[in-house]
Amino acid sequence: MKRTFLDGCAFSLGCTLARLRFASGLHSLRSCLALFAVAVFVSGVQLYAHHSFAATYHEDQTVKIEGTLVQFQFRNPHSFVQVDAPDAKGVMQRWGVEWGGAGQLGGQNITRYTLKAGDHVIITGNPGRNPEEHRIRMVGLKRPSDGLSWGGRPGETFD
Amino acid sequence: MFRLRRTAIIVPLCLLAVMFAVRPASAQMDFSGEWQPIFYEDQPERVAGPEIGDYTGIPINDAARMRADTWMAAVQTLPEWQCRPHSADYIWRGPSQLRITKEINPVTRQINAFHLEWLRSVDNPVWLDGRPHPPEYAEHTWGGFATGKWDGQSLTVTITHLKEGYLRRNGLPRSDKATIVEHWTRHGDYLTVAVIMYDPVYLAEPFVRTTDYRLALNGLVAPYPCNVVEEVTRAKGEVPSWMPGKNPDLHEYADKHQLPFEATRGGPQTMYPEYISKMK
Repeated sequence: MKRTFLDGCAFSLGCTLARLRFASGLHSLRSCLALFAVAVFVSGVQLYAHHSFAATYHEDQTVKIEGTLVQFQFRNPHSFVQVDAPDAKGVMQRWGVEWGGAGQLGGQNITRYTLKAGDHVIITGNPGRNPEEHRIRMVGLKRPSDGLSWGGRPGETFD
Repeated sequence: MFRLRRTAIIVPLCLLAVMFAVRPASAQMDFSGEWQPIFYEDQPERVAGPEIGDYTGIPINDAARMRADTWMAAVQTLPEWQCRPHSADYIWRGPSQLRITKEINPVTRQINAFHLEWLRSVDNPVWLDGRPHPPEYAEHTWGGFATGKWDGQSLTVTITHLKEGYLRRNGLPRSDKATIVEHWTRHGDYLTVAVIMYDPVYLAEPFVRTTDYRLALNGLVAPYPCNVVEEVTRAKGEVPSWMPGKNPDLHEYADKHQLPFEATRGGPQTMYPEYISKMK
């Protein structure tokens, strides 16, 4: 499997965890995975601090769009999913859906190859404060073609 | 006899001279290590982020208030903003791990500098070798120019030459003319940093914040490559902002938390507990 530098960031966390496992005597796989989850969570937390979500989105509102993925920008500080989907009036719009940073998503088994242009997706999230921007903060994602989903399991969030 | 008397005088004098000449071992505190921020205070603001219109408890003036009232979060989708690091004064408040390394002078064996690095930051050196700050017209950077001076086992750091930054991530600005004074204190595995901000442009009084970190032996400051993309499609040259008086969200914070609107507007008086009596 091709590895990119960004994927390597998440991979390097696993290597670090392996070294920690031997150093700390954690021979249980469950303990190892728990520590890995904590390490990923802690190391990815700075990604939150780029901007205030409360200032950017209406966190008390939820919108749902269904359409075709145009581009998956897997990167830091925040990944973006660009989707062509109709708005509430049925007019086709280009939506920019903000997601976690590459390092954080990497710890949740999301890579730059997880989504590709042409995928049919259903996305729920918080709408941006400027409706003309058609911007959403990701809360949930589903790809009906193969059942891929994100946002429904514990830990599948970003703040 | 005379020789014995001379010896009795010279020897103690020599001993005294040696005592004053030998420099005692330095009492410098070692701040180096991997540190993890603690969120026992201000967690909602420092992690998820502050709400629009929340200027409470910050001694801002009218100029800062206007900048914040006309600020729009969408400005951070612009290419110039996407990979911008937190500047040296704000980044203490972020949720990132911190790595502090020390630079030792090989001759004097004293600490020449501490280097601070967070996940999404530049290298922030603090120079302890007595070098002066550059002239006012020298380059301003995200890390600024920082020098440190020991105060017992605490370190007092003075930072100048910062690029414009922010007090809070809801538009409250901090100017490039500000001077930051930090007091670092380590007590065992805990590091407390008091940051005092003096800003002649946007603050009516000095602004003080304290932040705590705990030593994290297994800490990790991972690589953080950042690249600029088109996050939101907008017209060329468009800069998201509100015209003065046009921001529709300024009352949202006060209404949501049932606070008098005036109290949320910040200013020196809102820092002190006596202000509560005014709200009644």
